[in-house]
Amino acid sequence: MCSCNCEQPLVPSIVEVIDIVDETPDVRSFYVKCSEGGVPYSVQPGQCSMLSLPAGEGMFSCTWQEGNEYQHYAIKKVGLLTEELHSIEIGQKLGIRGPYGNGFPVEACKGKDMLFIAGGIGLAPLRSFIKYCFKHRDDYGKIDILYGSRSYADLCFKDELFNLWPQEKNTQVYVTIDNAEPEWDGHVGFVPSYLEELNPNPNGKIAVTCGPPIMIKFVLQSLEKMGYIDDQVITTLEMRMKCGIGKCGRCNVGSQYICVDGPVFTRTQLRQLPQEW
Amino acid sequence: MTDITLKIREIATRLLQSDQVDVFVGWEKGPQEYQTRPFFVRRVEDVEKLVFNEYSIHNLTNYLLKYRDSTDRVGLVVKGCDSRGIVRLLQDNQFKRNRLYIVGVCCPGIKDPLKIAKNQSGLACPPNNEEIADKCTRCLVPNPIIYDELLGESQEPHNSGERFSEIKTIENMDPNQRYQFFEDTLTQCIRCYACRQVCVACNCRTCIFDEMKPQWVGRENSTTDNMMYHLVKAMHMAGRCIECGECERVCPVNIPLMLINSKLVKDMDHFFGSYEAGMEYVEGQKPPLSVYNPDDPDDFI
Amino acid sequence: MQVIDKNKIVPLLDRLSKQSEVFVPTVKGSESGFYSWNSLNGAKEIALEALNVYHSPKNVLFPQTERMYSIEQGKQVFSIPDTFQDEKSRIIFGIRACDAKAITCFDDVFLTHGYEDSFYATRRKNTIIIGNACYQPGANCFCSSMGINPVQPDADVVIHDAGTVYAWEAITVTGQQFTEQVQDLLEEKDLGLPQLKPFSTEFDYDGVVEKLQGMFDHEIWHELAEPCMNCGTCTYMCPSCHCFDIQVKIWGDKGYRFRCWDSCMYTEYTAEAGGGNPRPDSQDRFRNRFLHKLEFFTERYDYPLCTGCGRCISVCPNGINIIDIIKRIKEVDKIV
Ligand code: SF4
Ligand code: SF4
Ligand code: SF4
Ligand code: SF4
Ligand code: SF4
Ligand code: FES
Repeated sequence: MCSCNCEQPLVPSIVEVIDIVDETPDVRSFYVKCSEGGVPYSVQPGQCSMLSLPAGEGMFSCTWQEGNEYQHYAIKKVGLLTEELHSIEIGQKLGIRGPYGNGFPVEACKGKDMLFIAGGIGLAPLRSFIKYCFKHRDDYGKIDILYGSRSYADLCFKDELFNLWPQEKNTQVYVTIDNAEPEWDGHVGFVPSYLEELNPNPNGKIAVTCGPPIMIKFVLQSLEKMGYIDDQVITTLEMRMKCGIGKCGRCNVGSQYICVDGPVFTRTQLRQLPQEW
Repeated sequence: MTDITLKIREIATRLLQSDQVDVFVGWEKGPQEYQTRPFFVRRVEDVEKLVFNEYSIHNLTNYLLKYRDSTDRVGLVVKGCDSRGIVRLLQDNQFKRNRLYIVGVCCPGIKDPLKIAKNQSGLACPPNNEEIADKCTRCLVPNPIIYDELLGESQEPHNSGERFSEIKTIENMDPNQRYQFFEDTLTQCIRCYACRQVCVACNCRTCIFDEMKPQWVGRENSTTDNMMYHLVKAMHMAGRCIECGECERVCPVNIPLMLINSKLVKDMDHFFGSYEAGMEYVEGQKPPLSVYNPDDPDDFI
Repeated sequence: MQVIDKNKIVPLLDRLSKQSEVFVPTVKGSESGFYSWNSLNGAKEIALEALNVYHSPKNVLFPQTERMYSIEQGKQVFSIPDTFQDEKSRIIFGIRACDAKAITCFDDVFLTHGYEDSFYATRRKNTIIIGNACYQPGANCFCSSMGINPVQPDADVVIHDAGTVYAWEAITVTGQQFTEQVQDLLEEKDLGLPQLKPFSTEFDYDGVVEKLQGMFDHEIWHELAEPCMNCGTCTYMCPSCHCFDIQVKIWGDKGYRFRCWDSCMYTEYTAEAGGGNPRPDSQDRFRNRFLHKLEFFTERYDYPLCTGCGRCISVCPNGINIIDIIKRIKEVDKIV
C-alpha cells in the first residue's frame, strides 16, 4: 500500500530507523521502514529521498531498497543535518518524502557490459545500480567496479567490496586509495589515473560514474580519451535542494532541475548544460 | 558639476594610460539622467562615459569588497560620506591602501535617483522628495577625509538644526510607546537584506545572518524574527556605520534605518567617545569596539 | 456591454469582503500593494486608477512566510500532527496584466511538471482574479514586448476604465458565475473602450532565447553584473520570482516547518552543506537571475518568466535595467 504523501508532496511521512551501521569514520548507514512495516514508497536505483529530523531536511540518494522490507541510506557527515543524523540511535523516527529524481536507466543498460567508477561517498548511489545488476545478473554482461577513496578507512561497504562482489559471476572489483598505507597492498593512486591504467575497452560498455565533482570531471575526460562516446557515459550531479519537486528553484543547472530532471544524466545531456556544477 | 566630470575623466584616463589602476569606478548616465549608476572603466575608450552629477549618490566603496580577493588596483570616486567607508575598510584590513587611488569630491549634496525613479514609475505611492537626499541634509562631512586627489570647492556641513533631534524624540517616548514604534516600523521589513548588501561596514565574509550552524536569526518574516534581525544588525553596526545612508536608500519598504544608526552613533560617542566612525585613518589604530578595555563602560547592558 | 459605476466599487468591495478576503490595490503609508480590504482601517486609498502598485499581489497566493505543517519532537520522536491548508476564499481585485501573467507563471511552476504543490493549489483553487485592463503604460512598462496584452489580463473577469464607469467583462466560467452574484451592481450601457497609449519602450523579443543559448560563458555577463550588489531587492519585488527556502522553528518539543521567499541573488541559496557553492561569484548569481527569466524558463515552460512589469527597474539601487540588458544581449556578437 502506498503510504507516501502523494497529495501533499512537501509533507513527509514518518519512518523508523531499524538499524545503523558504521561504514567509515564519517559514513554511516541507516536502515529505515514504516512503523507499521513496509517501505513508505518504492525507490528505483539512483532515486533520492528527502530525509528529515525536526531540525531540517536533506536529500539523500537511496543506497538500496530491499523489496518491501527496508530502504538503506548511506550518509556522510558533511554539515549540520548530517551531523545530527550521525548522533541518532536505532528507533529514531525520521521524516521521509520522495521518491525524487529520474534514477539510473537500468532498462536501457540491459544487455550491456557495465563499468562502475566511484569515489568516496559516490559509491552510495552507484551501489543501488550495482546491486540491481547482481539481482538481475543475467540481464547484464561483464561488470567492472572501480572504486577509490582517500584511505582504506574511508572505503565504504568493505564487506561487499572485498568479499561479496568479487565472487559474483563475471565481475571484477578494482579498489584504490589516494596515498600509500603500511597495511594496504592494493593499488595506490587517484581514480581517474587508475582508470586509464586499466583502460577498459569501450565496446558494448556503459560507464557509470559518481563521486566528488572534481573526480567526475577527470573521469569524464579519461573516458573520452579511452574512446567512450557520450551516450555510453552516465553520471549523477549534486546541487543543494530544498523542495525536491522542481518548485523552489535552487537546484537548477540551466533549465534542468536536478531534483526532478536529474540527478542522473548521460554525458550527451551534460554537454547541453552550462558548466555550473 | 561638469567641471568635476571632466576632471574625473582626465584622472581616469591618466591612471589607466599609465597603468596605475586596473579598474576605475565612477558613474555613468543611464537611459534617463536620474538613472545615473555605478560604472566600471577598464579601457580608456570608456572614460568618456564617466559622469559626476547630482544623482551620483551610490557609495562606491562597497564595490571594493568585490575586489578584495583580487590583485586589481582600483581607482574610485568618493564623496565625503563615502570616504569614511574607505577608512572603515582599511581599519578592518579589507583592503590595502596602496591598491587604491582615491579621487575625493567635495559634495554639494545630491539627489536620490531611486526616489525619482519611484515617482516616475507610475506605481501608486505618495510623492517622494526629489530635492536633496535626506541624508545630505544631515551631512556633517561633505569633504572627503581620505583621498589622493581632491576635486570641487570645499563645502560647509549641510546639516541645520540640532543633531540627533529625531533620536531625542524617540528617547523621550515611554518604553511601551517606544516598543510599539519599533514594532510597527520593523514589522514592515521584508527581510530582503538589501540593507546589509549595500553596507560597506557589513564586510564580514560570512554574515551572522547567513550562518546556519547555529542559525542565530530565523528567516521568518514575523515580528520576532524581524526585531531580532534589526537588533543584531544594530549591535554589529555600533561604531562601524559611517552614515552614508545607503541602507535606508535601498530599503524597498522605506524602513528608517538611519534612525537606528544615528542612535548608535550617538551612543558610541557618548559611551566610548569622543568617537565618530571612519573619521581619520591612522595606520594600526583600532576603533573602540575593535579593542577591549577592562574599564569599558557597561551600564547600557 | 455591462458596466459598473465607479461609485459602486466601494460597496462592491464591502459586499465581497463579507464572504471572501478581497485584495485591492491600495496605498498604505509610504507603500502601496494589494492589501486585504477588511484589514484597512479608516479611509481606504484605492489605487485602481494608478498604473499599478508597488508590491505585486504575489504575496496573496505565495505568502512571503507560509507555515506548512506542525512538528512534535521528543526522545526519538518526530511526528507531524497537522498540515496547514489555507482554504479561505480570496479575490484579487484589479490586477494588471503583467501581474496576472505572473500568476500564470506560478500556475505552471507550482501545478505542472510532475508535482502539484498542495499549498499553492489549495489557495489558488479558492481564488478569483479580477483584472484591470491597462490603457496607459508607465515609464518602465514593457509587457507588450514580453508577449502580454495589457488590456487582456489572464483573469476571470476584466474591468476596463472608461471614465465614470468600468466596463465589466466576464472571461471564464468562474468569472460568469461571479458576475451573476454581483449582477445587481452592474448595468447595461453602450460605450467605447479607450485606446491603448503607446509604450515608451518596445522591442522584439523573438530570437532572444535562441541568442542566449550558448552565451552562458559570454564576457558580457561580467560587464552587466559589475554594478550589482546581489541585494535581492529585484527578486523580492518581482511578481514572478517564485524561489523559496524551507526552514523550521521549534521551541522545546513543538514547532513547525515553514517556507519563505528566497532569492538566487543570495550566496546562501546554493551553498552546499559540505561548503562548496556552484555559484560562488556575484556574477554567477546575477547571470542565473537573468538567464532564468529570459532563457531557462522559456526552455521549460515555453514563455519567459519576465512579464515586463518594470518593478525591478524602479527599485534596483544600482540602476540595473532589464530592458537595457535585453537590448545589449540582442546587439552583442554571440561569439566571445
Ligand atoms: S532593506 Fe529594508 S526590507 Fe530589506 S532587510 Fe533591510 S530593512 Fe528589511
Ligand atoms: S506592464 Fe503592462 S500590464 Fe503592467 S502595468 Fe504596465 S502596461 Fe499595465
Ligand atoms: S536590485 Fe539591482 S543590485 Fe540588487 S540584486 Fe537586483 S540587480 Fe543586483
Ligand atoms: S524581472 Fe523585472 S520587469 Fe520582469 S517581471 Fe520581474 S520585476 Fe517585472
Ligand atoms: S530569477 Fe532567481 S529568484 Fe527569481 S525565480 Fe529565477 S531563480 Fe528564483
Ligand atoms: S530542490 Fe527545489 S527545485 Fe529542485
